[in-house]
Amino acid sequence: MILFFSREGNSKHLINPVLEILKVWRSNIGHKESEFLPHPCPAIIGVGRTKFGEHYEKEPEKLIEEAWLKASQSAGIERRNLDAAYIADYFLQLTNKIGIEEGFISELTELHVPMEKTRSFSSALLNACNAIQSGRHDIVLVGGVEKMTDRWEKIRDDLMLLEDPWSYYAGCTPEANHELMLREYIKEHGIVGERLEALNVALAQIAVKNHKQALKNEYAQYQREISLDNVLNERQKAHKPLGLYDFAPVSDGATAIILASPEIAKKRSDTIICVAGSASATDYVTFAARQERTGFIASSTAMKSALKMADLKVSDIQIAELYDQSTLLEMVSLEDLGFSKKGMAWTDINESCKDFQGFYRVNGKELFVNTNGGLKADGNPLGATGGAQICEVVTQLKGEAGDRQVKTDKDLLFGCVLELEGFGTKAYVHILRRGDS
Amino acid sequence: MSSEPIERRVSYIGDRLKGSKCGICGKEYFRPRDYCGTCGRKSFGKMQDIDFFYDKGELEVCTLIKEPTNRFIKLGTYVYGIVSFHNGKVRVPSRLTDSLLNNREEIDVSSFEGREVVPRFRRRYAVEQSEIIPTISLAFSLADGYYPHQEHEIVKPKKESETPGIVGYGVYTPKFRIKEGTIERSVPFIDEDSITAAVEAGKMALVHSGVDPSLVAKVYVGSESNPYAVKPIASKVAQVLKLGEEDKAEGVQAVDAVDTEFACKAATSMFKDASALVYYPGVRNHYAMVIGTDNSQAAPRDEIGGELDFFVGYGASSFIFGMNDVIAEIEGWCSCTSDTPDFWRRDQEPHPRHGGRFTGEPAYFKHVSNAARKLMDKLRFQPNDINYFVSHQPNLNFPIKVATELGFKQDQYMPGLKVAKFGNTYSGSSPIGLAAVLDIAKPNDRILIASYGSGAGSDAYSLIVTDQIVGKRSRQKFTIHHQAQNQNIEYVNYETYRRLKLGM
Repeated sequence: MILFFSREGNSKHLINPVLEILKVWRSNIGHKESEFLPHPCPAIIGVGRTKFGEHYEKEPEKLIEEAWLKASQSAGIERRNLDAAYIADYFLQLTNKIGIEEGFISELTELHVPMEKTRSFSSALLNACNAIQSGRHDIVLVGGVEKMTDRWEKIRDDLMLLEDPWSYYAGCTPEANHELMLREYIKEHGIVGERLEALNVALAQIAVKNHKQALKNEYAQYQREISLDNVLNERQKAHKPLGLYDFAPVSDGATAIILASPEIAKKRSDTIICVAGSASATDYVTFAARQERTGFIASSTAMKSALKMADLKVSDIQIAELYDQSTLLEMVSLEDLGFSKKGMAWTDINESCKDFQGFYRVNGKELFVNTNGGLKADGNPLGATGGAQICEVVTQLKGEAGDRQVKTDKDLLFGCVLELEGFGTKAYVHILRRGDS
Repeated sequence: MSSEPIERRVSYIGDRLKGSKCGICGKEYFRPRDYCGTCGRKSFGKMQDIDFFYDKGELEVCTLIKEPTNRFIKLGTYVYGIVSFHNGKVRVPSRLTDSLLNNREEIDVSSFEGREVVPRFRRRYAVEQSEIIPTISLAFSLADGYYPHQEHEIVKPKKESETPGIVGYGVYTPKFRIKEGTIERSVPFIDEDSITAAVEAGKMALVHSGVDPSLVAKVYVGSESNPYAVKPIASKVAQVLKLGEEDKAEGVQAVDAVDTEFACKAATSMFKDASALVYYPGVRNHYAMVIGTDNSQAAPRDEIGGELDFFVGYGASSFIFGMNDVIAEIEGWCSCTSDTPDFWRRDQEPHPRHGGRFTGEPAYFKHVSNAARKLMDKLRFQPNDINYFVSHQPNLNFPIKVATELGFKQDQYMPGLKVAKFGNTYSGSSPIGLAAVLDIAKPNDRILIASYGSGAGSDAYSLIVTDQIVGKRSRQKFTIHHQAQNQNIEYVNYETYRRLKLGM
């Protein structure tokens, strides 16, 4: 096979000449280009989720049941239609002493089909996509659940130990690496004086924006507005660079989607949301030992792979769900994914927030970010979080987001979701695309 | 909760900050590994063992931890960050220790950034009373602070001696003190105990002596405050300081290690054993290390035994005995023992008791003067043949009184009287006095030391200083004088002192 590089904008795309000819030929006979990618893209035919927050009265199984029922309802499928299930939870084994999670799903659905467990929703989705693309399965349940509040007293120790034992041994907390990254960022880009003040305000704006967006999200953990002063005051009270309102909470919740082969999806609906790009990347477990400490190599690497797979450019992405475990992570993710220039995301945020229209203006384009309120306000039940991010982009692409539906000049066609495991030890990027059949 | 295998592995690496260096490209790693990620397969078998135990790092970035995870809560507020070694070849997560930060004040963390730091061997975090005590050296202190950075250089011995003696020594006391009246006493930081002090003192003795640690054949650790009822401090010291030849395949050190206990003379008692061991035919060129370490225990003031709370200190001393490059030869010794119940601590009791009935007479005075007098008689010395006299120092009065009774004058006993600076460091008490004297002694000076251990007994030794002492002095920055008179000493109030002493 002959391969060559073509330059489009700033990014290089790998082009398969045979496919290119095929695309031209097919478009001549009336097909849309978006349907012609090297592999058939799996489609998301249903989404469901619970409210995030504290669910002390519910077992984890109860939460996943709720999400699954909603997803099956929205997809219009029955349990017996499922060929497989991929379920994510980060540490139910620790928080709830639940061993073989698949068994609970089996009981719930009364199915004996293959089921696998992963740590994050995005990881489950990636595996499910692979299974559908390989032709192995046609309809798959992808779910995620977490119950963090059941282990309230020990949760921070657990989170830190699982993130990186050696940092834990040295006294690290789940918040500390965010603050170290901020210090690295400030030093790397020589941000001082007024610019530093502006950077701090930009980070606070992220929390304010996410809380505001969650007001219209009935499932969000926090449906309450906060002010810039709230964020800044909490920081000042603690004498810390990042305060209470800069971090995502501890949450319970579950999410589920139904993933299907494109053929099945097309039969069910005129509008299909397909997973056009699905990629992951990895970095060292110990933050201190990494070469890059002002962002995540894993995020940028996964984004590049996902864009290449979807045959898109960064500037094509109109809506993004970023993993804002802290306000800092939303900011650096804008840079990691290529929306903002390195060291410049905070100026993009500040410019956009002067008269916030619901989107960031990056590179002269509109980018809607964390329209569900992000992890900060929507909640962050680790294994389920990615599902909420996917749900949001699916709902927006379908134009079913109601009050919080984004308004764009052009058709809303492309969205991306970034999910992390640990402090950037793993990154998953999924690119969702709306296609009309 | 704690797992013995995990503890063993984490301590093995973390206590000494072990790593690897690629023999091909020079890339360095924290934590040992068998191949280099850059060079790949060709680096198999070419990785070299390194460690950062004696190195100096730089605190690159840091933040303030005000809400630690559960196991670190007792540390309160602390600085956490990234320390780089060897100009950024290796970076490790790190905690700054030895700092009492005020939670309510604004602290500019950037003032810590870019500063040089030294790894310290400390307790890792708090565990249940019944669990294995976790340790680590990912705790650091500022190199321009109380505890200086010191290179460890192995020096080939030049001169073999006829008589065994001290070849090097080190003392460790922490930077915290409580000052009440005329007495200052050393106070451990909350992550310290008698194990960590023992290792630090041993490290100082290796730095001072220049002895190859693999030639140390035995280590004795005397203590009455081992946090374990069963499990030696000496095994930790042996492993962290890599004493004796290391058998890497088996993960053991070819060294004998043992803890001893006889109240405050647990260490001095072993000076003669260490000397005899290195003098034994066939073991020449080997060394023996004797450590006295105590986080001296005392009940709170309003409880029985609380009178000790006015005098207890914290610290450790370490002396290396051998036949090469001896700085002070042992001329002779004399010990005495009687079964006198003047001070005791029953098993599982947290604090010792002081009967009060025997404390001075017959306990302290009878034994110290008996051992010292008999040794002087044996060696036919008069008090004026002796330049320095050091005795056990539970307070200021006892050592002065016994010295005067024995016929010594102020200029003979004052240089070694350090209780007013460090408090009673129990097993480390008279050895710290000895170290203070060795810090200033001239060749051919004669030192008489008489320890005391409740229960009761005393060991007296006569030492004659050699000309080797002068050359070795420049290797040790952490002298008694440095530790006693230091602008970085931090004074704490009684409440903080009790809290720190109780530890994690």
